[in-house]
Amino acid sequence: MLHRLSFIPGRLLQAIPVVFGVTLLVFFMAHLLPGDPALAILGDKATEDRIVALRTQLGLDKPLLVQYGLFLSNIARGNLGDSLTYQVPVSSLVLEAVPVTLSLVFFALILGLLIGIPLSGIAAVKPNRPADLGVRAYTLVGQGMPQFWVGIMLILFFSLKLRLFPVGGYGQTAADHLYYLFLPALTLAIALSPTLIRSLRSSTINVLGSEYVATARSKGSGGVALFRQHVLRNAIIPTVSIMGVNLGYLVGGSIVIEKVFALPGLGSLMLNAIFSRDFPTIQGVTLFVALFVVVVGILTDVVYTLLDPRVNFSSKERE
Amino acid sequence: MRKKNRIAFVGFLAATALVLTGCSAGTATESPSSGAPSEAGGPVMGGDLVIARGPDALTMDSTSAQFENFSMSVFQQMGQSLFSPTPDGQELVPLLATGFTVSDDGLTYTIPLRDDVTFSDGQKMTSKDVKFSIDQDTATADTGWGFVNAAIDKVNIVDDYTIDVVLKYPWAPIIADLSMFSNAIVQDNYGGKTKEQYYEAPVMTGPFMWGEWKKGQYLKLVKNPTYWEAGKPYLDSVSWNVVPDANTRKLQLQGGQIDINDTPDWSSFASLKESPGVEVYAFPSTQIDYVSMNEDREPFADVHVRRAIAYAIDRDALVEAVLFGNGEPANSMLSPGTPFYDKDAQGPTYDVAKAKEELALSSKPNGFSTTLLIRSGNANQAATSQIIQDELKEIGITVEIVQLDPTANKKARQAMEYDMAFSAWTMDIPDPDQWTTFALDPKGGAHSAFTNYNNPEVIALNNQAQRESDLTKRADLYKQIQKLTGEDAFLAYLYYSPYAFASTDKVKGFEVTPLGNYHTENIYKTK
Repeated sequence: MLHRLSFIPGRLLQAIPVVFGVTLLVFFMAHLLPGDPALAILGDKATEDRIVALRTQLGLDKPLLVQYGLFLSNIARGNLGDSLTYQVPVSSLVLEAVPVTLSLVFFALILGLLIGIPLSGIAAVKPNRPADLGVRAYTLVGQGMPQFWVGIMLILFFSLKLRLFPVGGYGQTAADHLYYLFLPALTLAIALSPTLIRSLRSSTINVLGSEYVATARSKGSGGVALFRQHVLRNAIIPTVSIMGVNLGYLVGGSIVIEKVFALPGLGSLMLNAIFSRDFPTIQGVTLFVALFVVVVGILTDVVYTLLDPRVNFSSKERE
Repeated sequence: MRKKNRIAFVGFLAATALVLTGCSAGTATESPSSGAPSEAGGPVMGGDLVIARGPDALTMDSTSAQFENFSMSVFQQMGQSLFSPTPDGQELVPLLATGFTVSDDGLTYTIPLRDDVTFSDGQKMTSKDVKFSIDQDTATADTGWGFVNAAIDKVNIVDDYTIDVVLKYPWAPIIADLSMFSNAIVQDNYGGKTKEQYYEAPVMTGPFMWGEWKKGQYLKLVKNPTYWEAGKPYLDSVSWNVVPDANTRKLQLQGGQIDINDTPDWSSFASLKESPGVEVYAFPSTQIDYVSMNEDREPFADVHVRRAIAYAIDRDALVEAVLFGNGEPANSMLSPGTPFYDKDAQGPTYDVAKAKEELALSSKPNGFSTTLLIRSGNANQAATSQIIQDELKEIGITVEIVQLDPTANKKARQAMEYDMAFSAWTMDIPDPDQWTTFALDPKGGAHSAFTNYNNPEVIALNNQAQRESDLTKRADLYKQIQKLTGEDAFLAYLYYSPYAFASTDKVKGFEVTPLGNYHTENIYKTK
């Protein structure tokens, strides 16, 4: 088993140039934006003297390459620098925002699976029958509705009409967080589930038609036990890679949902940092997201390897 | 209600988990909440106030350059200055001082202090603290707000509760300057801490004291038990939540999740007005919205071109379309909330015939093409600019609207890289000098509000007003300034818009001054 996972160190090494490339691209793209952090901070009442003084104080008067060099040498020492806006370490801002976004994304993933697995099973058992058509209609509608609109509709119904959930925010205790994250996670799950259902439905139909399922049936297996032991385990393999890709997408796509639900996650942090030209924060968040996507990519392959004994990334890489 | 929902929700999750594992769930109950005391028939004591607004505060160091309006509204619940503006924003009254006297040469202000003021750690406030506070602000002249103290030569301690502020030259706005947030009273020598440590959790004299700040999420202040004003504050705490989306703030207010919505947009203002349990407020402000014209670029140095533009704009229509009727057309560079505002000032009003006449007299009698810079994502500016574009087309001026995000927009205006631009101003002190010097004096540090307007007569009048302590004579000087600047049409004034707020009907005693300050010590919540 372990030798099949020996591809991991190689993948981690490959990730270094990827992450380095991302920092380079983001650093220079952020500095290409017109505007200036000193101006963003000082506002309309700024005078030239105050702008110059603040630029010097923030180190923005140094040449761009020197600033990038400082950024890299700081990273090498595990320091992401200080936020230009808040004057606190970027790492502390990122560390406060990461749990919010990751909880949201994983909560959404769980809800997406809770919606997706039963619906795809119902659809696949009797293809082209009313239940299947209903599920397929849901996937079309779910994919077609803009996320911010779904979010607002859920708020109007569950928060304002039924008064069951809060209108945005994150709360202060762990129980609060779960409670506050339910509607935003459901919004993301509704957007995510159609992709899961489509993939899972078609692979389930394939698996149901396979010889080993027929054999299992002939041995008297059926119902939920057959589905869980023989069908789902095989049908879910292609869905794992889809979920891996979607996790990265969800972290990036959470910006809109975080804004609608006033969640203090990475998306909000990034958006505010871009508007105020808070370069160190933009770089810090990007670095984290790049690392996250790389790690999720590797983890997806690990899960893939564990689920399907035929998959062996390590041997392919040695060829 | 909300706690009950949360418990029910957590119970629901637990029940689901238990059902899935084949077990059964018990029921969750809510613990009883304790009641807060209330004065019979008077304000209710206790409770937590939650204010939601788009941006977060940036810093609590009120002398630093980063300190801006969103930091100010939090800071002012903790930090107090020697003087404070009256609720109408027109005058100043003593706050931590008890009054002042001026020497005959107008250079020495003797200021007696209250002797019953303590900081939130229980230590008494004395003239040592006051001298240190003003000196530390003055020291930030190049890096922060200390430039407001430019006229101060030194501060002398007379006794434990009296100071002398000695000026370099007679300076009429000095009491207004001392009322600024940057001159708020801090502890002598920062109470033995470094400046950075002190402002991370300021110890000050106001009704609330430092609580907790989760940057980008919320900032909470709690009641100062040693506050010097008897019986206040009523609330136990005040929190400012960061809720960037205006629609989410509106829904949170309707759902009772927050108490006050800071700056709902005007389009949702009317619908909030109709919502049950919600109060809306349009407080008079010192805000003036205007179109600035860059005199470095052709043809805006020509007064006839500027007048033609100013006459072509229908301000009543803008107030209706953009502010949904909640505002007034502007007639002067000063707003009605600013001292010495002249309500009879004859700023250009909507008159298409006059606009055409002025254009005919100008260097561009057949019209010209130009651009109007606005902030992207700003609904008010987008609507206003489209109306102005249409109106200027009628007199032969073709306008292209250029949108830049807020930071890039500021950069373009600061660098004078624009033709016409949409902008606005609000006052920080109850004295017109802050704005007139910024907008009229090319040496004021901002190229005359980034227009390069330069009228020596106006500049001389402004300098004279800075040194005139006689109120009647000062009023006359500002009247002349308002007349001349209106005739020069150095800005095309648009409208005076009020400050929009909305609260639940349980919030009482909430008022915002024209300077944008509010006093949370006067607020209480009914049950």
